[in-house]
Parts: sequence; structure tokens; C-alpha cells
Amino acid sequence: MSEHAASHGTEAEHGHEEGHAHHGPKDYIRIWLVLVVLLAVSVAGPFLEIKVITLLTAFGIAVVKAFLVCKHFMHLDVQPKYVLYFLGTALAFMLLFFFGVAPDVMNHEGQNWTNMAAQEEIERALIAQGHGPALEPGAFDAATTFANTCGPCHGTGGAGDGPAAAALEPHPANFTDPAFWADPTRDHEHIVATITNGGASVGRSALMAAFGGQFDAEQIEALAAHVESLNPNHE
Amino acid sequence: MKPVATTRTAAGIQTGRLAVWWLLASEIVIFGGLLVSYIMHRLAHPEWADYASHTNTWIGTVNTLVLLSSSLSAVLAHHAAEQGDGKKAAKLLLATIGGAVAFLVIKSFEWTHEIHEGFTITANGFWAFYYVAAGIHASHVIVGAILMGWVAWQANQNRELQRVELVGIYWHFVDVVWIFLFPLLYIAK
Repeated sequence: MSEHAASHGTEAEHGHEEGHAHHGPKDYIRIWLVLVVLLAVSVAGPFLEIKVITLLTAFGIAVVKAFLVCKHFMHLDVQPKYVLYFLGTALAFMLLFFFGVAPDVMNHEGQNWTNMAAQEEIERALIAQGHGPALEPGAFDAATTFANTCGPCHGTGGAGDGPAAAALEPHPANFTDPAFWADPTRDHEHIVATITNGGASVGRSALMAAFGGQFDAEQIEALAAHVESLNPNHE
Repeated sequence: MKPVATTRTAAGIQTGRLAVWWLLASEIVIFGGLLVSYIMHRLAHPEWADYASHTNTWIGTVNTLVLLSSSLSAVLAHHAAEQGDGKKAAKLLLATIGGAVAFLVIKSFEWTHEIHEGFTITANGFWAFYYVAAGIHASHVIVGAILMGWVAWQANQNRELQRVELVGIYWHFVDVVWIFLFPLLYIAK
């Protein structure tokens, strides 16, 4: 044994050394086996398809596994008590952070505020995943279709401010601008024709594509009605 | 002269080990903050359940097994170091490094596949958390592997054997973090 190894033994506090006395390689392997069995249980849990059991086998077992590793591998139980205290303090700060922030993050609506970005994202994503709250499967929703299909250029709200708008010349139309609607040629038939056959067909920007192949006449009627509803002077 | 961290025990604990515990206290805040932020968003966003269903439970399980086993070799290395057997400690640490490398290789295949599927860090909030949390964890695996290589090199010459335990404590912590990441990202779907 080198002098370094020897000094290691004598320097360590007694409690620590005693704590090791009953841990040999066989004990460590036994603990590892327990950990592997627990892992198998946590993976098997979801197969029962009972939510409570999944959560229990997932997180309950995670806590048990973490406890075993901390106690038997890290020897946390034989460290001076104050080590536990400052680690516990760090954990307490983590919980403080959670309970301090969670009310704002987890609610999307308060007395005087609304987290519209979060609400819109949830609605958009749920519809995209096929389990939207208000829609029958396969139902056509003009506002959602507008946001998804027209939104990249015209903006989800139709203000001509979609992500691609800046790069387009002429800029995509802003349907929320009364000036746009002041032009008397922009009646319902004109909007329907533009969506169906594209901008060039009505003497406007060719950057506005034709959507007649993508939507049927009824859907285009609904889209046109949605576009017209964006007019601030719309009755 | 030996570093003070290995010779002084003024606080009733070898100073080097005390430093590792302090390091881990700061790590608790880093990973803890990240994980509770994830939990908050996961609970508040019903659409994340669908995103989470695309993670590969089996890859996560294999990686958990790899990390648990590497923790076993790390604690066995600690035991060997306590017996004064530096050479054996070095070998066991090398086995632990092998676990770290295996973990990273599996993870890189997993990520490559996911990125090809279109699940990138900018896809949505879930995948952003997925890559950030697992990425910070993986960076700890890389750091741990490098540190263990250095400690194993010293242990092989029977030098600074107390460091085998210190690097082991850090490694077990990396394991514990994964123990919580695993159910959060792979099991609760």
C-alpha cells in the first residue's frame, strides 16, 4: 500500500470508515441487482395501461432507486450531518422555485392577464394532433386552416405579417387594414376567385398561389368569409 | 507537498470530499430547476403527451442499465482504492469510462434518428426541453469520463487514491439525475 493510500485510511473520519465496514463487493452487486429489478418494474409499469400505476412505477421507483444510490453507492448516510443539511437546502430552493413560479407557468389565465401564446399553441397543437376540443375529426375550420395555410404569409391574424411576409414583394395583403377593403373591386367573388385561381388570375400579385386544387368550393367559401370577417368594418 | 484538500479534515470530513458535496449542491439547483421547469410545462401543456410518445423507451432503458452498471464499477473502484489496490481501482474506473462511452454512443444514435424524424430542438417546447436536459446531462457524462481517466491514471500508479471515491460520488450523482430524467422523458407518456 502506498503512503497515499495509507493516509487515505487514517484521514477519513471514523464514522465514514465504519459505514464501509459492512459493504463489500458482494453487497454492491446485490444493490445493483435490486436497482436493475426496479428498472425492469418501472419499464413494465406502463404495460398495464393504468395511469396511477404508471406514475407510481415511474416516479415512485425513481425515488427508491435514487435513495439506494445515494445511501449505498455515495455513502451519503455516513457523511457528517451538515452535508445532508446543505444538500437538503439546495433541494428546498428547487422546491421554492417550483412553487414560486408554477402558479404563473401552469395557469394560462389569471384575473388580469391571459397567456395567449400558450393557449393558442395548445389549441393549434391539439387540432394538429387530431384531437381538437371543438372539432369533429375531419371537420373543416376556416380560422385554423387560414392560420395554418395562409398564416405563413398573411399572418395567423391576417395582418399581412406572417414569417415569410418580409421577404415578399409586394407584401402579402393586410386584411385587418380598412384601406385594403376600401377598394370596391374587392368583393366576395373577387376574394373567392383569388383563393381559387391565385393572385395573377385577378391581376394581382402572382406570389398569391392558387388553392382551388387543395380545397373544395365550400371550403373556399368559408375561407373567403373568414378573410372578410377580418375587415374591421365588417358588419 | 500534498494538496490541502487531501490532508485537512478541519470540518470533520476530508476537504476534497466536502468540496464534491458542495459541487453537487450546486448541481441539484441546476438539474432540479431544469426538471421542475419541465414538469410545470408538461402538466400545463396537454399536447406534450403526444410529443413525448415519440421517445424510444427501449433506448432509454438500455442507457439506464448502462449508467446503473457504471455506478457499480465506480463504487467497486472506490472499494478497491480503500483496500489500497490502485491497479484494480484503475481497471474498474476504466470499466466505468466504458459505460460512459457506451451511454454517449447510444445517445448519439438515438438523437440522430430523432433529428432525422424531424424532432429537432426547435420543433416545440417538449423537444427543446428534451435536448437541453439530456444534453446538459450528457455534458456531465463527458466531463465525468475525462475526470475518471485522469484519476484512473493516477490510481494505476497508486497515487491520490482518495480521488477514486471523489470522482465516484460525482458519477453516482450523474446516475441519479438520469434516474429522474428516464421516467420524465421516456416512461410518463
